[in-house]
Amino acid sequence: MIHTERKYIEILRILKEHQEPVGAKRLSELMAERGFVMSDRAVQYYLSYLDEMGFTQKVGNYGRILTENGTSETERALVGGRIGFIISKLERLAFRSTFNPDTGTGEVGYNLTRVPEPILEGVISCFEQVKRSGLGFFNGYRIIDKDPRIPKGNVGIISVCSITMDGVYQRLGVPVRMAFGGRLSIKKNSPDCFLDVIAYSGTTVDPLQIFIAAGLTSVQNIVRTGNGVALANVREVPAMAEGIIKDVSESMVKCGFNPPVCVGREVLNLQPEPSRISIVSFSGMNYIGNACEQGYKLETEIGAGNIPFSKICEDN
Amino acid sequence: MKFVNNVIEDLAMQVSLNPDTEEGLVVYNLSLIRNEDLDTVTALVKDAFKSGITFSGYVKFVESGEQFCGHKIRQGCTGYFSICSTTLDGVLVRKGIPLTPIGGGVLEVEKRKPTRFIHMILYKATTIDPLQVLTAQGVTRILDVMYTSNGNILANIRECHMEAEPQITQTLEEMSDSGFPGIIELGAPNTPLLGVSISTDFLGVVAAGGTNPMAAIKEKGMWLETQAMKGLVDVKSMDWIEDF
Repeated sequence: MIHTERKYIEILRILKEHQEPVGAKRLSELMAERGFVMSDRAVQYYLSYLDEMGFTQKVGNYGRILTENGTSETERALVGGRIGFIISKLERLAFRSTFNPDTGTGEVGYNLTRVPEPILEGVISCFEQVKRSGLGFFNGYRIIDKDPRIPKGNVGIISVCSITMDGVYQRLGVPVRMAFGGRLSIKKNSPDCFLDVIAYSGTTVDPLQIFIAAGLTSVQNIVRTGNGVALANVREVPAMAEGIIKDVSESMVKCGFNPPVCVGREVLNLQPEPSRISIVSFSGMNYIGNACEQGYKLETEIGAGNIPFSKICEDN
Repeated sequence: MKFVNNVIEDLAMQVSLNPDTEEGLVVYNLSLIRNEDLDTVTALVKDAFKSGITFSGYVKFVESGEQFCGHKIRQGCTGYFSICSTTLDGVLVRKGIPLTPIGGGVLEVEKRKPTRFIHMILYKATTIDPLQVLTAQGVTRILDVMYTSNGNILANIRECHMEAEPQITQTLEEMSDSGFPGIIELGAPNTPLLGVSISTDFLGVVAAGGTNPMAAIKEKGMWLETQAMKGLVDVKSMDWIEDF
């Protein structure tokens, strides 16, 4: 029974990743790629069950699309399997990030924020504050309006997702582990200590979005006074990669990224992990956090896709 | 920074509640509400208790300026003290039952029956109480559960060794029969419970989060500030919600 549920959820997940209808034959191929070998007939059987449940819908002879209920089901079912899934999902973006910090070329991963037009100006001034204070992951963002994912009356803001850095390290052959999302106390514009951390491996909800929604950041205070609470990520790499971190950080800074907040075996009040180095860096979510603190309600998809780095650097 | 599984164990060791006599120390949550919301909040907490989604019926409302458990309540606010479900872990631990706190999350309810967890934050992965922060994520539907029997509530899960099953069953019955009716489900050994996997030779126990009434207050749009697992209090100094 549990096995069956796993399969039908995988079908829903595949449909979720496709904006166009997918036919049964193609679905059975995609399922096989993910390790679920099923006959076309079996897929048909699951699909009629999913139609009946109201999770999928037939579009003529083209195939199936996900209904709103189907989307919501992918966000609810199989809680055990979804713990830590936030990172598994981002790993794909990291793997597809071809960004080369030495040449400033290739693709980066991005987050997509939907902003209703009437509040755009206010939101942008919040983003600018974060950019000026160097509290983002990357010092910049890009406004887009022609994208099927942006509903009418809204504008999209693309910010670089810090998973791009994981991609850079992976391409250099350095295994990197995204350990925590945390809220970092800043005093006199310097990192003081982490107030809370949540491990990516132990949650179904994004840690940084949790902190923003719970009102536990004060990015605005840092902007104004140099004291406050910002969002940061902690990554762990093998200690022997120490030299590489320095080189990577330097070339990323040249491309417009902010340098890591701190790097080391024992950093701030984090429990040291033997033979591992922690890299603490500001999150791109500080842009969104600052806007939310000002009362702007925004919807952000973390790890929405990959985009050439040059596109992010174009003027808005 | 302490991870929540350690915080729970530290508090659990100090719990001295005897569910049979309803005496001893329990773990409390402290919330602040606005004075003018007190009547609405009291009615809401009563409704939440009636619909079986609170961990316990013991509460304490403390006026501005007054002191309780060493907390002086600031002007304009009323202190609302409630009992945290960590108390259950304490009672089990103090009986010598091997227990591991797993995590807190959002539990889907259909026709008053729990169906599955739809969100989960593991205690060993977080330094902030999962239920305290999940209250603010807009993922709860406590009022729906209270008034329509379908929705989502906050709940937590721990696992105990199956060897202690008779003692666990007895303790849970004692708790349910006294002022702590918030135990939702006891799983079978070696079986996932409500979608959460359980270690080999263990069984899961799910309890309603002590913060469900707080989430309901938030859903109603009222202001509230909560600190879960704040400390220990003698249960005799608390009041019974149905007496209000």
